[in-house]
Amino acid sequence: MANALQTSFLPSTSSLRRTPILGSKGKSQALQVKAKIREIFMPALSSTMTEGKIVSWMKSEGDKLSKGDSVVVVESDKADMDVESFHEGFLAAIMVEEGGVAPVGSAIALLAETEDEIAEAKAKSQSSSSSGHKAVEEQPKQIEVAAPDVPAAAPVAAPPAVSASKYVALGSAVHPASEGGKRIVASPYAKKLAKELKVDLGTVVGTGPNGRIVAKDVEAAASVGTTDAAEGTVAASPAKPAPVAPGIELGKVVPFTTMQGAVSRNMVESLSVPTFRVGYTITTNALDALYKKIKSKGVTMTALLAKATALALAQHPVVNSSCRDGNSFTYNSSINIAVAVAIDGGLITPVLQDADKVDIYTLSRKWKELVDKARAKQLQHHEYSTGTFTLSNLGMFGVDRFDAILPPGTGAIMAVGASQPTVVACKDGRIGMENQMQVNVTADHRVIYGADLAAFLQTLAKIVEDPKDLTF
Amino acid sequence: MHYSPALSFSQPTSLPTTNYAFHSHVDLRFCGLRRQPSGFSFSTHSASTRVSLSTPARGHSNKISASSGNNGTPKSFDYDLIIIGAGVGGHGAALHAVEKGLKTAIIEGDVVGGTCVNRGCVPSKALLAVSGRMRELQNEHHMKALGLQVSAAGYDRQAVADHANNLASKIRSNLTNSMKALGVDILTGFGTIVGPQKVKYGKVGFTDTTVTAKDIIIATGSVPFVPKGIEVDGKTVITSDHALKLEFVPDWVAIVGSGYIGLEFSDVYTALGSEVTFIEALDQLMPGFDPEIGKLAQRVLINPRKIDYHTGVFATKITPARDGKPVIIELTDAKTKEHKDTLEVDAALIATGRAPFTNGLGLENINVATQRGFVPVDGRMRVIDANGNLVPHLYCIGDANGKMMLAHAASAQGISVVEQVTGRDHVLNHPSVPAACFTHPEISMVGLTEPQAREKAEKEGFEVSIAKTSFKANTKALAENEGEGLAKLIYNPDNGEILGVHIFGLHAADLIHEASNAMALGTRIQDIKFAVHAHPTLSEVLDELFKSAKVKAPASTSSPVSEPVSA
Repeated sequence: MANALQTSFLPSTSSLRRTPILGSKGKSQALQVKAKIREIFMPALSSTMTEGKIVSWMKSEGDKLSKGDSVVVVESDKADMDVESFHEGFLAAIMVEEGGVAPVGSAIALLAETEDEIAEAKAKSQSSSSSGHKAVEEQPKQIEVAAPDVPAAAPVAAPPAVSASKYVALGSAVHPASEGGKRIVASPYAKKLAKELKVDLGTVVGTGPNGRIVAKDVEAAASVGTTDAAEGTVAASPAKPAPVAPGIELGKVVPFTTMQGAVSRNMVESLSVPTFRVGYTITTNALDALYKKIKSKGVTMTALLAKATALALAQHPVVNSSCRDGNSFTYNSSINIAVAVAIDGGLITPVLQDADKVDIYTLSRKWKELVDKARAKQLQHHEYSTGTFTLSNLGMFGVDRFDAILPPGTGAIMAVGASQPTVVACKDGRIGMENQMQVNVTADHRVIYGADLAAFLQTLAKIVEDPKDLTF
Repeated sequence: MHYSPALSFSQPTSLPTTNYAFHSHVDLRFCGLRRQPSGFSFSTHSASTRVSLSTPARGHSNKISASSGNNGTPKSFDYDLIIIGAGVGGHGAALHAVEKGLKTAIIEGDVVGGTCVNRGCVPSKALLAVSGRMRELQNEHHMKALGLQVSAAGYDRQAVADHANNLASKIRSNLTNSMKALGVDILTGFGTIVGPQKVKYGKVGFTDTTVTAKDIIIATGSVPFVPKGIEVDGKTVITSDHALKLEFVPDWVAIVGSGYIGLEFSDVYTALGSEVTFIEALDQLMPGFDPEIGKLAQRVLINPRKIDYHTGVFATKITPARDGKPVIIELTDAKTKEHKDTLEVDAALIATGRAPFTNGLGLENINVATQRGFVPVDGRMRVIDANGNLVPHLYCIGDANGKMMLAHAASAQGISVVEQVTGRDHVLNHPSVPAACFTHPEISMVGLTEPQAREKAEKEGFEVSIAKTSFKANTKALAENEGEGLAKLIYNPDNGEILGVHIFGLHAADLIHEASNAMALGTRIQDIKFAVHAHPTLSEVLDELFKSAKVKAPASTSSPVSEPVSA
């Protein structure tokens, strides 16, 4: 499943993504660079603050900082605050752009002691991003599809430092005759978007009044840029129509957005995993009744299904395993249920962590929170990338059965259809009516065999048909 | 005119006016109200302190021609008070004059209500009410956080424009009716001063009528100021006058000037879907605001919206859209005076301030020279003539004098003048007059900004402290999911004097009055902090603010709020 976010959010996630990796895998590399280059961390401005948003950078890359200078304005859960530098030096590289969010304690910029080290620090900030690229692919718990593509998308607009200065110039619209004597006329929002999406306005063809560059031109240019970088694996794409286009123009060739490019690559990559499918029909009368009973307490069907699946997985650890290299596989230590959610312009898989252990009410609350965050495009990396088993439910559309493609890096995915009243032959020989739901699991046959899935599904059916355990 | 013998007429006529300008207030009593409007009698103070009312030189000669001289025969005027201009200032003065028993007339050449009601504050509030709601409805995240679901919000431009227009008509008729009901004569036509205490008025093409009055107030207001080089066509290059009619919503509008007017329009336009480019001559946006408030306002009102800006540049030439070409704006660097950039936009709104509307007032007839169009006045709104002398019985209030170009300041000045002509000396405390900008969220302020306060403190040798509270700490603001905001108090920590208060946040414009009233009444922080606020209300932002101030002086024991009250 593609954990794709809307393109506009990518720059900040990509910079966020570097930080956890710096802490774990990238550490040795970071140390090799030079101790004189310091990281500026996201400070904890209050006891309850877990993450902060960069409101604005008060210094630019290359600026000299004295001890006590205000460097950045951070918005915490309580207030906006100016953050001061504890050291002297030069602001070498900004790693989280304005508007970006970073967890407390993660690096948001690099501080070089001398001017000579600025370049070095810049290289470091970039190498950490490329090491991030590798790490993302190697991370054992990645089921993520969009992620590997993000660093790849970055080079489109040249190294960040260079492009940043370029856009500052554009922002202030000091754009004397250039590009063959033509001035660049772009609307304010188009300029903002260009800066955000790292699009060089000089390369954009305007379609607004008098050839003005408007927002949709920049968006179109940004999506063209990323498909080029994604080396055009266009053909095999199951991608949805372009999310950014206000209307669909029939007969027009639409280039991929960053997200679509990422989905495409990962779907193709999934072909290298030998998968098979096992289906099962589960009676849901008891589950439906339970749902009705506890719905008022904020419990959602999604949470119930995730909980049931997690409890079944607890009895069948192999279905919760994952194989990456073809030589070994990992029994994952926690059961993290990723649930696919369609969001504006794509698809994302927020993760319910430890779904087997967390009670159903907490799980429901957590789910609501995740969905809200997903819609607001504020999910943190770990909140959509740590799933060990994926659920995809199209039941709400009336779909009775379908099969899902296995997200690379995970062992199995379950496609859930609608629960429908069905005429059945009852045990006493009469004809009766029951609510039935079809589920269909796709699994990696290198590690999960038919009997494993069958046993898992039987357990799941038992849990759903007698759901008392779901509420503890 | 029966002045007591020791009066100004016996004073040497060559006394410099400065002597009078600094005279302490005197307690003038007005007697024989209607019947003898110009009759004064003085209490037992020495005469020399009272001269301020009638200036010596011109006052003397004028009086002789305007009245029957000082032989003691009462001269009857048509009115006690004539106000030229029926805007908010004139209206406020007229109402108060009637309350004081003056026979009052108001001359208006256009529509009652003036700029504020017809082309300013009032219709813009109607548009801002729409933009505020649009903003809320479009903010899906905000709505969801409240648990609301709204499908795509849209608007009908004509209906929005009608709302603004209907509001203006309604307030206009309220204003007209209130004056008629109180017996204020509304004289239609352009008023011109033809001589001391004498005004003519009439419509173009009709014969003028001349009326006399004991006192005259000029309240002719202002018109949008358009710098040279800018061609206003009323369609694509417009001023606030046109913009308030909302005849079209451009895709991209350049707003020249980032003061109150520009900011409010940027709020309206961006809510209705336009993109905005600010052009500001100074180096910073929102130059008039306290820098900290301005910075925060920029973070909230400018940066996240579809707005960009050019600072430190003049729009030296603006050509309206014609022949298929867009509006073309030439930008010139404010310092180097070199051509900097050219913009091509769909519309340009000129919000570079307002110019006094004083042409044709006949000021030359009484030897008054305007300064950049403004009528020069002293602290009591008395008009000063070309020689620096006070013109007797002539006052100027509101935008026309340029002291404080705010509708409510004009009204307050008018009331102050009426107080003076009815015998009670009164000087308006201008620093306590609040101001507000009705963006979403609103900005309001009273008194000094932090840099102004620090400069004053340096000069006068006192300390300045700052207290701040955030809307994020206010229950009501959080309930509304509108925690973005800051209130800032600038004060003297030694005596608890409030020097300035600045608020940015939900309903800031309504919140400022607690501070401005405290300033007007001289209430100190150590006293007002004991006043109780209903919980939970936004007013607790100010409560918190006063409580967080660290004042060395103890609360005054006679403070009304600290006295026990029996139930």
